[in-house]
Amino acid sequence: MKKKILALALSSSLLLGLAACGGGGGGQAGNKDATKVTLVVAQTFGDRSFYDSSKEGAERLKADKGIELSTIECNGENHTTQMRNAADSADVVVCVGWEFYDIETVAPEYPDVKWIWIDNATGAPVENVLNITYAQNEGSFLAGYIAAAVSTSGTVGAVGGEDNDTINDFIVGYEQGAKYYGEENGKTINVVKNYANSYVDPAIGKECAIALNDQKADVIFQIASATGDGVFEAAKDKGFYAIGVDSDQKYIDPEVIICSMKKEVGNSIYDAIATLIDGDDSRWGTTWVADMSTGYVGIGYGEDGSKQQVPDDVKTAVEGLAQKIASGEIKVDTTRA
Amino acid sequence: MFEDILKSIFSAGTFNQMLRSATPVALAALGGAMTEHAGIMNIGMDGMILMGAFFGALGSYMFQSAGMGVLTVLLMGVVVGLFFALFTVKFRSDEFIIGTALNTFALGLTSFLSRSIFGTAGTKGNPALPTIHIPFLDNVPFLGAVFNNNSLFIYVTWILVLVMWLFVYKTPYGFWLRASGEKPETLRTAGIQPERMKWLASILCGILCGLAGAHLSLGQLQGTFAENMANSRGYIAFACVIFSAANPGKAYLAALMFGFFDAIGLRLQDYISSDLTNIIPYVITIIMMVYVVVRSQQKKRHAHRSKVQGAAAT
Repeated sequence: MKKKILALALSSSLLLGLAACGGGGGGQAGNKDATKVTLVVAQTFGDRSFYDSSKEGAERLKADKGIELSTIECNGENHTTQMRNAADSADVVVCVGWEFYDIETVAPEYPDVKWIWIDNATGAPVENVLNITYAQNEGSFLAGYIAAAVSTSGTVGAVGGEDNDTINDFIVGYEQGAKYYGEENGKTINVVKNYANSYVDPAIGKECAIALNDQKADVIFQIASATGDGVFEAAKDKGFYAIGVDSDQKYIDPEVIICSMKKEVGNSIYDAIATLIDGDDSRWGTTWVADMSTGYVGIGYGEDGSKQQVPDDVKTAVEGLAQKIASGEIKVDTTRA
Repeated sequence: MFEDILKSIFSAGTFNQMLRSATPVALAALGGAMTEHAGIMNIGMDGMILMGAFFGALGSYMFQSAGMGVLTVLLMGVVVGLFFALFTVKFRSDEFIIGTALNTFALGLTSFLSRSIFGTAGTKGNPALPTIHIPFLDNVPFLGAVFNNNSLFIYVTWILVLVMWLFVYKTPYGFWLRASGEKPETLRTAGIQPERMKWLASILCGILCGLAGAHLSLGQLQGTFAENMANSRGYIAFACVIFSAANPGKAYLAALMFGFFDAIGLRLQDYISSDLTNIIPYVITIIMMVYVVVRSQQKKRHAHRSKVQGAAAT
């Protein structure tokens, strides 16, 4: 009997763990007319950039527009199942992450649900899917320009989460921006990079950054979610600078993070759903490229009053470049289809 | 170009990274060696590492001291070891299932606690373990860069490898431990309960894997915890245990080998796709497994032949 009670207690504690692992904040029961929005993220919240930014946008919708919000974290698996789970009870499903490519087959099964796919686009337009992709290459161009301007060694680096088109889109832009600075100022700028092959392992991120620092890189751009935390730590330990990604990450360590390439995922989700609630669904069935001209990608230097490492003349130059990119005068390379 | 590749592979940075990457794996492998000797197949090491990483960061955060972080991990290691032994030894559950359950449980528990205590972003910047400065290495060109100014646990691991080796092969407890896995009946005949040795092995494994996690969050990083940060190191450690036939010294060497390939993998990415460098550890695991199996078959055949010859001689 004693054994049974013990076994029961232990297995219930196991269950507790599993339940916690399932994740997902429940939406509060609101009024019946509220638009039900479910946010499905490919990995987990807590990256202080991409996924957290999407949640921030959704939270603001909840405050401003009174939507009913629930969230699902896929932890890197079962993306298709979680999409269906979300669609079973929501009016709008926001899939955050390039991994949700099954949306092309799943979305038509739920014709009444409006889908938003963040960071990737369906091969052919699907009637009830709005694809939002970001011109991260354009923002990264500016990041590369700043990195090259701040670097004293003439070598700048980038740590990517993995070798795929979305991550490489950052890197080609970054490289081009760094080289652009080099040409403008008659310097040779060398760009080095590596991939951590993980988005959750700060220790590997740190090793990646140290390996690049061994190759003389003294400004390193992290494009690796939580793995990137290790890049900031390496910067602090070894005394070089880092550039944040997706959100304005300066606050994490103002001493070493000189700026961030912002990809305003939250704002774009807010924008898309707000127009839907106002009764305009004409954007569905199209791909919206949030680029520099719309203001959804750009550079953030942290809150007012935080320590600034980027000289003012470089900031002015960056503003000029941003206008040139927005107007199409500078064409930035891309790996997006 | 070839010269560049060699230069980047055999740099001090590579070997320094090898030490850092190998240490958490090696510590966990030491723990795994204990359970392996006691005849418990332990695939729950990954979860134990993850819990060690979390409780290390938590202890360091709560008491603002890395030492207390390590103490918390030691306590946690004992509890996890007891928990594991309770199921595998006392209830005789399937080790494979308990190990898997432990991994899932650890991920859920640490994520849940981390979010409750620190919010979704995890924690960072807590007091970390000190680095050790060895003055006489300052002027030694290559070795200085590799062996100097590393985190405390890198040196502690060397001591632990020696201690565990002495424990397993030179003390009666080690002898009983091995007997409890290989021939529990004989041990029982000798008046020692094999279960007791299994409990001991399980607790030691909990502690050592916990220390592996503590090294990850408090040694390699500055008191940082991110969800699921063990990132399959426990499985690599398990592979090390198998290659080394649970010999602590050889397990450390196996971990060093993985660390080395991690380090050169990162530096080879300029020349080879990172998808390929990423699979290096797994390819090595397979090659080593084949080697281990072939080797043990050869030994068996050899033993058999000499037995037959011996019989013929008499």
